[in-house]
Order: sequence, then C-alpha cells, then structure tokens
Amino acid sequence: MSETKIVAARKIITMDADQPEATHVAVRDGRILAVGALEDVSGWGDFPLDDRFADKVLMPGFVEGHCHLMAGGMWRFLYIGFHDRVDPDGKSWPGVATIEAVLERMQQADAELPAGEPLVAWGFDPIFLMERRPDKRDFDRVSATRPIAVMHSNFHLMTVNSAALALANYTADLEVDGIARGEDGAPNGELREVAAMFPVMRRLGIDFRALGRSPECLLAFGQVCKRAGVTTAADLINDLPDEDVADLLRVTAGDDYPVRIATMLNAMTQTAVETGRRALALSERSTDKLILGGVKIVTDGSIQGFTARLRWPGYYNGAPNGIWNVAPEQLNGIVAELLDKGVAMHIHVNGDEAIQVAIDALEAGLRKHAAPDHRTVLQHCQMADRAQFEKMKKLGLCANLFANHLFFFGDQHAALTIGPDRARRLDACRTALDLGVPMTIHSDAPVTPLGPLTTAWAAVNRLTASGRVLGEAERISVEEALRAITLGAAYTLHLDHKVGSIEVGKFADFTVLEADPLAVDPGELRDIPVWGTVLGGRVHPV
Amino acid sequence: MPTPAASLPVTVIAGYLGAGKTTLVNRLLRHPAGRRLVVLVNDFGELAIDAELIEAEAADMLTLANGCVCCSLGGGLTNALVTVLDMESRPDHLVIEASGVARPARIANIARAEPDLALDAVVTLVDAENFPRQLADPRLADSLTDQVAAADLLLVNKADLVSEQDLAVLKARLRAINESSPVTTCVAAAVPVDAVLGGAGIFRDSDRAPAHGHEHEHEDGYRRWAYQSADPFDRDKLKQALADFPDAVLRVKGVVYLSDRAAPVAVHRVGSRVTLADLPAAPTPGRTSRLVAIGHRPGFDPARLTRLVEDALAT
Repeated sequence: MSETKIVAARKIITMDADQPEATHVAVRDGRILAVGALEDVSGWGDFPLDDRFADKVLMPGFVEGHCHLMAGGMWRFLYIGFHDRVDPDGKSWPGVATIEAVLERMQQADAELPAGEPLVAWGFDPIFLMERRPDKRDFDRVSATRPIAVMHSNFHLMTVNSAALALANYTADLEVDGIARGEDGAPNGELREVAAMFPVMRRLGIDFRALGRSPECLLAFGQVCKRAGVTTAADLINDLPDEDVADLLRVTAGDDYPVRIATMLNAMTQTAVETGRRALALSERSTDKLILGGVKIVTDGSIQGFTARLRWPGYYNGAPNGIWNVAPEQLNGIVAELLDKGVAMHIHVNGDEAIQVAIDALEAGLRKHAAPDHRTVLQHCQMADRAQFEKMKKLGLCANLFANHLFFFGDQHAALTIGPDRARRLDACRTALDLGVPMTIHSDAPVTPLGPLTTAWAAVNRLTASGRVLGEAERISVEEALRAITLGAAYTLHLDHKVGSIEVGKFADFTVLEADPLAVDPGELRDIPVWGTVLGGRVHPV
Repeated sequence: MPTPAASLPVTVIAGYLGAGKTTLVNRLLRHPAGRRLVVLVNDFGELAIDAELIEAEAADMLTLANGCVCCSLGGGLTNALVTVLDMESRPDHLVIEASGVARPARIANIARAEPDLALDAVVTLVDAENFPRQLADPRLADSLTDQVAAADLLLVNKADLVSEQDLAVLKARLRAINESSPVTTCVAAAVPVDAVLGGAGIFRDSDRAPAHGHEHEHEDGYRRWAYQSADPFDRDKLKQALADFPDAVLRVKGVVYLSDRAAPVAVHRVGSRVTLADLPAAPTPGRTSRLVAIGHRPGFDPARLTRLVEDALAT
C-alpha cells in the first residue's frame, strides 16, 4: 500500500508523552507518517482526508498480552456461561443465570444438532446458579440418547449426562478420584480433573488443543480480537509444529486478517537447548503479522483450581499445596540456557511460591549470563507481594497481571482460596507501577472473555462479581490502565518499537471507540462500544 | 463392557530428578522379557538408545528392533494416550515415565478411569543419596511425599552410595510415608523386569513349576517362587493368602481357577494391592492354576508362600 491518507478523529489518545492527544494522523504504507493537529500532518503533502472517525475516539490498537488462539475455536461449542459474551460472528450470548435457562439453551441446540453428534457446551459455572448444583439428571432432560458434555468455566471439571457416562463405562462406582457420586452411590455426571474427564473426552472426540489450530479457528480468533479492539494478541503457548506455523503464516498474511499474533513456543516439551534452538529458528520466520521467537514455561497451576504453588500459610480452606509442572532446579536450567541464548521468556506463575522460584531462577541465571533487556515476563503473577515486585524490578522482570480474576474469581479468592487479606493484594497493579515494574494486564481468553477495556475496568475498579471492592489500595487510574493495555503489553512482547502508541514510524494500528475512555465514569469503562479497528492502515469495522 | 484382560496394563514410573527413571526405562526397553512395550517419556534425548537398536524414527515416536515403541510426551499425556490406544496392534504393556515433579497418583487415576487401560502399578524410584536433602526442601517435600505415598513398589536406587545405616534410616522414613508397599534397594536401577512390570498371563519357560512349588535364586540376586495346582482355589481365601504374603515379595502374578467360576481369573499382587480379574477364556490348557512371585532377601520364604496358598485351595 503506497497510498497516503490523513485520518481525522474527535480525539486521538496517543500514549506518547510528548503529545498525549491529537486529532489527526497521517498514514502511509501501513505506518504512521505524522500525528498532531491537521496542520501538523499536512506538511507531507496534500492527501485525501478520511473523516469517517470524526465523531470517534482513536487509541493505539489494544495489545492483549496473554490469551489463547482457542478463544476463537471455543465457539464451535455451545456457550452456557453466567457472563454475557459475544461470539466471533457478532452474535450476543447473554449469560444464563438459572438451571432452567441453561437447559433451555441446550435443548434448542440439541434440536438443531444432527443425530449422532455429541452436544458439547462450555463456560458453565454452577457457583452462580444459586438453586443447586446440576448433575446428569438435569442434562438427561436435554437428551437421554445423545451424549452431552458440559465443560465448566475453569476447564478443570465437566458434567455429563447418562449417555456420556455409559460411553465411558462409568455405570457403577469405580472408586476413581474425580468421578463424583450421587446419593445412590452411582456416578452423578460430575467429572473432576483430567483422569476422570479423559475417557469421555476421548470418546466424544473433544480436543481443546485442536481448537487453536485449524485455519477456521484462526479466522474465528481474528474476529474475536477485532470485536474487542485488539490489534496485537499474544498466544501464550503453542507447540508450533511446522504445519501449524505454515497455517499461521498463511492466515495472518491475509490482507483481511485483522490482528498481529505473537505466539509463544511451548518450552516444556523438549530440552532447554532444543527450545532455544527452535525459538531462534522460529524468530527468523517472523513477519509483521506473526511474531515468533518467544517461549512459554509453565511452573504451577491455577489458584481457583488449588493447583497454584503457595508459600506458607497455603490455601485458606486448608487444601493441600498445588502442583509443579517443572521442578525448581529444572527451571533454573531452562532459564539459564534461554537467558544465554537471548530467547524471550514468559513464565506462568500464579502462587507466591512459584513466583519466588521464578525470581530465584532469574537471579541465578543472570549471575551466569549477561542478558541485557531480557524482559522476562512473569505471567499471571497474581500473588506477588511487595518484596517480590522489588526483586522483579531489580532483575529486569516484567509482570503481566491477571486483572480479570479480580472480577471473575475475586469473591472465591477472598472466601475460599487465599482469604481476604491476600485477596486484597491479588494482581497488585498499583504496587507494580509504584515500584517501576513494567506491567500489563490480561484476560487469558477463553478463560475470561477477551476485552482489554473490561480488563482495564477490572484493574481500575477492582470490583468482584458480587460488587465488593477487592483491595482499594491496588487500584490504578484509567490513564495507567489504558497504558497497560497498549504500550505496557507491547513492551512485554518486545514490540513497543512497533505498536502500543500512536507515534511516527509505528504501525498504523488503532482501536476505534465510540466514547472517550478518559471522559467516561471509570465504572463504565467496559461499556464503551468498540466501533472496530485499523490494522496497518486497513479499516476493520465490527 | 471391555473385560479387564482386554485392557492395556499401565505402569507409572515416578521419582524425582536423578532418581534413575530414565535408567530404568532404558533397561525395560532393552529387556522387555517378551513384552511389546510402549513407553511414554518426556525426552528422547535423555534415553540415549543405541542407534543400532532403533528400527524407525519419527518426530515423536521411536520403534526399536525388539518391537518396543517409545513415544514423546511432548504433545501432552492425554494426546499420547490417545495415540497409543489408537495403535493398530495393541502393545502388551504401557509404561509412563512421569516427570520429576509429577503426582503419579494423578496419572494412575487415568489408567483406573479409562476402560481400555488398567493400572498395573506405580513404581517410585528414590535416590538413596539425595532423597533426604530433597525431602528437606519445602518446595518439594509434598510432591516427593506424594510420589512415595502413591507407590505400589518403592525402589531405592543408588544404594551403593550410602552406608547401611543411612539406608536403614531412609527405609524407615519411606515406611513412615508408605507403610504398606515393599521397598527394595538397587544400583543403577537394576531390578528384574518381572518385578517392575506385571501383566498376568505371561509365563516364560523358566517359570514352569513343579506341582508343589519351588524356588530359585537368579544371578541377579532376586528370588523367584512358582506354584501350580490342579485343584481350584477359594476366592476369599486366596485373596487373604495373597494379602498375607510378606513384604519381601515384590510381585505375584498368575492365572488361577476358582471354585465359584468356570473360566480362569488373573491374579495380581503388587505391593500390598491384590486384584483378581475375570478372564474371558482359558489361556492355559486344562484347569491348572499357576502362580509366580518375585522378591528379595531377607524374608522371601518360599515354603511359607506355598503353605499360604495351599491353605487357600477350595476344600
């Protein structure tokens, strides 16, 4: 594209300290040629003026620093969650709040589904269905013959109907952990964790990993991003076999494809040396729209699943400590090797013990290898305390905090998992900023819905689903939150020289909003409609 | 309903880093004792299988000349299990090498839940030299305790690197965590394959026994016992007799006939866990029951084992 044009907007929020606001931006070759008032950008020549955004507000394209490609593919299954969501085609799926509403939606899907296909639903969250906990008998009412599997919102549990139980031969008590039993002693349909779910998933052909792989799923992911105003998204774990890299390269190269994807190689499936070699080789294949070369390391599990690794005094409800996916000494080895090779690392840490182990690994690794500007990101980093943020700052670590958890799981964290005191400092955005730790905030979609404005809202207001404020002292301002979802995230991806602000030379990636996020009530941040996006100068209306 | 005999037996090899899991897996692959094994490992590279033993090599699968197959866990355990269960010719036994911090009970649970799999045993290796230090690390203590607690068989490896006294202290610590499963010591994970892997119905010529039980000690230092009888057993008495076998018995397996059933039953005891699984048809001619056991000195008293099972014959 060699055409040059000037885009006018009601207001342009630039994230550039030298010029925080503007009204016009000139775009050439997909990049930002000039920013400012009309007279500032007109000096490059007389170009057509595009004023379709004259009543809109432009921001730097949102950068989602931690989500998963299957956020698009999930919609192949029926959504029956408590919170409202919008699918890739723009169809609105209001949250369902009663068992009757859940079953009604499933019955409708059952009527439309061809015979022989299982009915698979996702997003289910029985804690919000106040009446009682549904079991196989409820889903038997939807169908006595078609196997039904309902994945819970946390992906650690599913509830199935009798037809699905029969497929897995779960007809009598097998005395297997995770196959819950009803009052009659027989399996009641609720299956907890992989072991209990595996036989059903295998027989129904449910493969969540595949939902992030096919070209159709990648296209759906692009639509999900566009609707949320996201122009750069980080896919936070991918095995990246050659055929998938080829698909990603081909799909993202499409002019119509509305998002840049940074995808992180799974560092858990080969030796550290091999991970480093592959990451560097992949990095060479990066394009403007597909950024390769970063890696993901997973240390612990999740707090709400009681698999995160916590320091003393552990889980509030007395649950045993969580699990390691990698031993601390193995992490030391991986981190040292990848620091040495200059590979960008994203380390999944939820609990404070896992955070400490990651910090220790970085400290030890950095003593061995000089790794200037490594920007290793502690992903989720939910339970970090002040001392840990201090250490992170000293070691050059970044934090990507899971602000959406405050809203979606905050009540559970205060009541059940970590108690009210540690819940108050959960996802401590204020502390991170005060101590100068480079930070961003994320959705982990599809775990929570993709929507940077919602994530910003969560960090600004710290309201839980029940409406209580969780840790007022850790609130951040709207300006800070907007920075987090743009330049902040771009920095954690080593992309802040290309995206994240509206500055000369960067990609012409914008999020087009119907209202000014700096002018609305902070409590209404998440309600601002996204008109669409601009990616490399190309307009993508919702 | 698939019969237990049609299910693929699964042995989970657990233990912290350096305990000898890879060494043990390597041994099993080289000497599978007539079994066609599929082994799921975290990393091929560490296995260091001699090139001449490899028949075919793909990105995530190695096929050995002896028919054994080695699959990478790179794509995740469940994906690897689907691959194995979909194999055209079903292997005899599946061995899963757990990661150093894995909770083997979680893996074993899959084998118990999945109808096409049957849990054989969790075998946990313990590094005789380093385990006490590892157990003192609060970040690891619970994982290591879980690994020991979940074991049906505990192998204390690298026993040559510590004193008799330290070994006794270590065994007492293991006993405190897991009071029922046998503990055996070894060097370089040298444990007979028949102790590590069960799988009823596999009888080699060396196991053919005279009518009244016999025992022999192999050059490997482990002792074997074999027994056969033309008379059927009483189900409950046999279960009790096997439960009464001493700790020195690592495994018992066999195919037996019971007084309450025409078809034979597969018998399996690993650690303290006894299972009787109905078999669909008679794999051995006639109605001859056969039992074999493997164990270590001291405490492996063949005469006592014979006495215990003879008391369990139906009268």
